[in-house]
Amino acid sequence: MNARILGIGRHVPERVVTNDDLSSLMETTDDWIQQRTGIKERHWVASDQGPADLAAPAVREALDDAGVKAEDLDLVLLGTLSPDYDVPSSCSPLLRHLGLRGVPAMDVRNQCSGFLYMLSVADKFIRTGEARRVLVVGAETHSTGLDQTTSGREVAVIFGDGAAAVVLGEEPDPKKGILTTHLHSEGKYAKKLMVEAPTALCDSRVTPDMLSGPGSRLWPRMEGRYVFKHAVTRFPEVINEALEATGYTVADLDLFIPHQANLRIAQLVAMGLELPPEKMFNNIEKYGNTTAASIPLALYEARAAGLVRDGALVCLAAFGAGFTWASALIRW
Amino acid sequence: MSASVVLACGAAVPTRTVTNEELSAMLDVGPAAIAERSGVARRHWVATGTGPSDLGRDAAADALARAGLGPEAIDLIVFATMTPDIAFPGSGCFLQDKLGCREIGALDVRAQCAGFLFALATADRFVRAGAASCVLAIGAEVHSTALERTPRGANVTPRFGDGAGAMLVGAGADAGVLATVLHTDPTDFERFWCEFPSSRHFPARMEMEHFERGLHYYVIDAPALDRQAEPTLTATVAEVLAKAGLGVDAIDLCIAHYLDPRVARRAARAAGFPDDRIVVPGESLGHVAAGGIPIALAEAMGSGRVGKGARVCCVAFGAGISWAGAVLKL
Repeated sequence: MNARILGIGRHVPERVVTNDDLSSLMETTDDWIQQRTGIKERHWVASDQGPADLAAPAVREALDDAGVKAEDLDLVLLGTLSPDYDVPSSCSPLLRHLGLRGVPAMDVRNQCSGFLYMLSVADKFIRTGEARRVLVVGAETHSTGLDQTTSGREVAVIFGDGAAAVVLGEEPDPKKGILTTHLHSEGKYAKKLMVEAPTALCDSRVTPDMLSGPGSRLWPRMEGRYVFKHAVTRFPEVINEALEATGYTVADLDLFIPHQANLRIAQLVAMGLELPPEKMFNNIEKYGNTTAASIPLALYEARAAGLVRDGALVCLAAFGAGFTWASALIRW
Repeated sequence: MSASVVLACGAAVPTRTVTNEELSAMLDVGPAAIAERSGVARRHWVATGTGPSDLGRDAAADALARAGLGPEAIDLIVFATMTPDIAFPGSGCFLQDKLGCREIGALDVRAQCAGFLFALATADRFVRAGAASCVLAIGAEVHSTALERTPRGANVTPRFGDGAGAMLVGAGADAGVLATVLHTDPTDFERFWCEFPSSRHFPARMEMEHFERGLHYYVIDAPALDRQAEPTLTATVAEVLAKAGLGVDAIDLCIAHYLDPRVARRAARAAGFPDDRIVVPGESLGHVAAGGIPIALAEAMGSGRVGKGARVCCVAFGAGISWAGAVLKL
């Protein structure tokens, strides 16, 4: 049986950080950030809040929206690249927030493609009858791992904190729900966008020189132009792969939601596909790149804006660190 | 819908063996006391610079050779580890490159000591759903660089070893993955955890204060964890066998995996297995969290201890707190 999204929820921390706020921390300007990324503001935590803390309210909203009780979940998948602790995975503190004991839970660590990788896993558990209700949540607290000074500005301005969740269940109509998913990776570019520490490759895996400070290896490193170049190639490839697998064309799409990494990438991809701008939804201007949370966070707002009607053909796609890239096609 | 079958398994353990005598000076405890506290006689540690994706590549190459397949046959990698090469991207991405795979999906999962069985269950679902016809499930760990090699680490460090195991899960008519069960109960996850780096720590995820307090090392309440693990492992054998519709007598080998190998063996005995049908990976490897089960399985298959058609029950318990079981027909 196909799987479908039964409900969506989201949560972002209260504190809003505008581009002007950032210019008081580092040498940057609102113009520079908007021109390169399309971002106007993002939310950053202001106290001890990890991805599981941000995920819990998002999950409660998604469960309410789906009409599903937490106790009825058969599988919990949490995607993050900024986990609450080193061990265990962040799904454990999330289960504790939800009061769940015994339901299988694992983290998926596939960065910007994490949500679509999880969607694909959830889809397979439902299709094989091994699960009836699956929770998929993407959650990130990036801000505690960013160099918020001028030396880190190229990366720090991009990322935002937040969480968004979907609850999946069975779809009896074979023409509806998740129609297809596609997952890819190319590890030779793994170090083009990474956080190095902790690293099993060093003895020991955490050393004092890795800690917070100028050049900390706990902070992300990104060769932005490289990522950009590959993104604008892989996005259309994986979108076309999903369309070909189902016999649809770009003209059949009602809505396209790209991973919210950079508005300029999204615009180039849509232009290349000859997708009318009104069929693409972006909200990076308000949240920055929330990595594993970005697609469900955008899906939530697209639905609220009336763009996800019953019967709509929705394409989701992502590209990011790994490199990994992925797509999903959903008939709502 | 096709069934999933075990095409082959492979293993890789570092050549360096670390004895309790060698640890004794480092930890300022006698070798007999180390054996008594940990239940582990020896373990393997990598040479610095070797990551789980390197061990994973060797284990995968071993499995591919046994299956008579090349890396191009693989449709999906599912990589389980709690000690990744770097913080991100995941070790699966590095493995995709090192093994020379096509641009396939590389799914990185975290479920700690039960991680391999979560990866195996995921591989099984992809094959049964028709989304892949050959999935590489990997469990690999380099614990050694995460261990405190001073007297402060005396109760934790001797328990762990490095290594990787691989399984190729393919599509077939006759089911090879007969049943899987997966569980997580977070109630007491601090019984085995490592708090830092911690993204939930505001304003920065790790500071010198945390380093000096050693909060980036595993903290284990072994007595409490042991008390939880033993009955849970025994019950998991019963649960997964019931799901497979089989009794203990129908199982040729039980692989029981837990931090303390003595606890794992007692749990398997309590489930009804005689000692000669129990394998506990930790007895010869130390605890290799996601790697213990596939390494033990590859060794049992390689040595002829289990052959074609044999039924194997695997159970694992550990950090999360997560535990899992699987019944395989080889």
